[in-house]
Amino acid sequence: MFKKMIADSMSKSPWIYHVNTGSCNGCDIELVAVLTPRYDAERFGFKLAGTPRHADIVVVSGPITSQSKERLLRTLEQVPEPRCIVTLGSCPQSGNVFKGSYSVEAPIEKFVHVDVAIAGCTPKPEAVIEGLYKAAMILKEKREAMKK
Amino acid sequence: MNILMGLFHILVFPGLLFVCIIGLLLAGVDRKVLARMQKRVGPPLIQPFYDFFKLMGKETIVPHAANKTAFLAAPVIGFASLVVTMLFIPVFGYSAFSGSGDLIVILYLLTIPAVALIVGGSASGSPYAGIGISREMVTMMSYEFPLIMVLLAVAKKAGGAKLLFSLTGIVAWQQSNGSGIIHVALIPAALALLLIIPAEVGTQPFDVAEAETEICEGPLIEYSGAPLAMFKLNTAMKMFVMTSLFTCLFFGGIDTGIVALNALILVVICIVLTILCMTLIHAVTARLKIEHLFKFYWTFVAGLALCSLILVWIGL
Ligand code: SF4
Repeated sequence: MFKKMIADSMSKSPWIYHVNTGSCNGCDIELVAVLTPRYDAERFGFKLAGTPRHADIVVVSGPITSQSKERLLRTLEQVPEPRCIVTLGSCPQSGNVFKGSYSVEAPIEKFVHVDVAIAGCTPKPEAVIEGLYKAAMILKEKREAMKK
Repeated sequence: MNILMGLFHILVFPGLLFVCIIGLLLAGVDRKVLARMQKRVGPPLIQPFYDFFKLMGKETIVPHAANKTAFLAAPVIGFASLVVTMLFIPVFGYSAFSGSGDLIVILYLLTIPAVALIVGGSASGSPYAGIGISREMVTMMSYEFPLIMVLLAVAKKAGGAKLLFSLTGIVAWQQSNGSGIIHVALIPAALALLLIIPAEVGTQPFDVAEAETEICEGPLIEYSGAPLAMFKLNTAMKMFVMTSLFTCLFFGGIDTGIVALNALILVVICIVLTILCMTLIHAVTARLKIEHLFKFYWTFVAGLALCSLILVWIGL
């Protein structure tokens, strides 16, 4: 019974930790907009966590500058299992407008596995909510797979 | 029979199960009402239950720099002391344990969850936790002083010539003389206790120790998984323990004679108090600085409590 309750709760209270890897701040503002009264992501249980140790979903925005790459990896290591990694905006996926720069390590897939990618520059808040919701469902699957 | 009754008291009512469930429910009410005040839909009422079970299912990481024993024991100690506190607080006429010095025992027991937070935070070895625990200590010092004065005022009022430190005695006194809140001399004390509750629980304007936007939840920063779930549960339980202490001291005169009905009335009063002194204040204020918090408690709140103490002493 407890196992089922835990698995069910996984998808109902995902806490988000946001890592900015050199984004232009557009995506970061949009993520905060999702939590405001208009879109109110808290009705699905989403909450912004202050530290990676409390997080379930790590949201990465920005084109991964060379300086931030090591910090990103170290942050991701500190997140307890089960966890999900979501990329926000086109930057972490392709480099977007920063592509080709000597200081950008863009496709994030080179270093970590990404569960959900939200595309757009910037993505609409509706798209962000949908992406995060999908990530929450993946969390539940991961939890169930963990126990088997 | 006696042992069975004792086990029932400790594990079901008014102990473990009752405190946990009602505490988490109060936390849910707090979040939901807060959301409605900000014109949001808000999380479901049982959101804290989801949070609790989710954290139970997460991996527990003990940092390299941490002292493992203290790090893992701290939340359990806080949890246990809160359950014991609840056993001493009578649900109107019904109490599990009672003695002649309840009030003093409770005063000590109530400091233990805060101390557990300090121990856990300092064992985690994080600099953010260091700042958090120093703030937690200052918060503790600020609210303990008016809290003692409030309890003294009530004890003096109920006991007459000599102080009455037994909670069951205080409740019995209220049942023959009317609830504490209708005595003019105790009204400032009630107000002071209402302002002490949010600091004891650590909600918005007084959550300097766990400020998640500036010091990343302070002492809790390194916690994950089950110990974090325990700390979140402790906070929720503190809401219930503090509001039921208030009910016991100032609304003790209400008694229907039926235990189940009494428990229901207690829960309703606790929900109202939670909304009044935690949600409302949370919605309209921003976080204080630690020195402002200290000043607020040692001047305004302590003043209210002192006022009450003087009124009681001159026999009003
Ligand atoms: S995707 Fe667009 S808005 Fe988002 S960080 Fe990159 S450039 Fe900025």
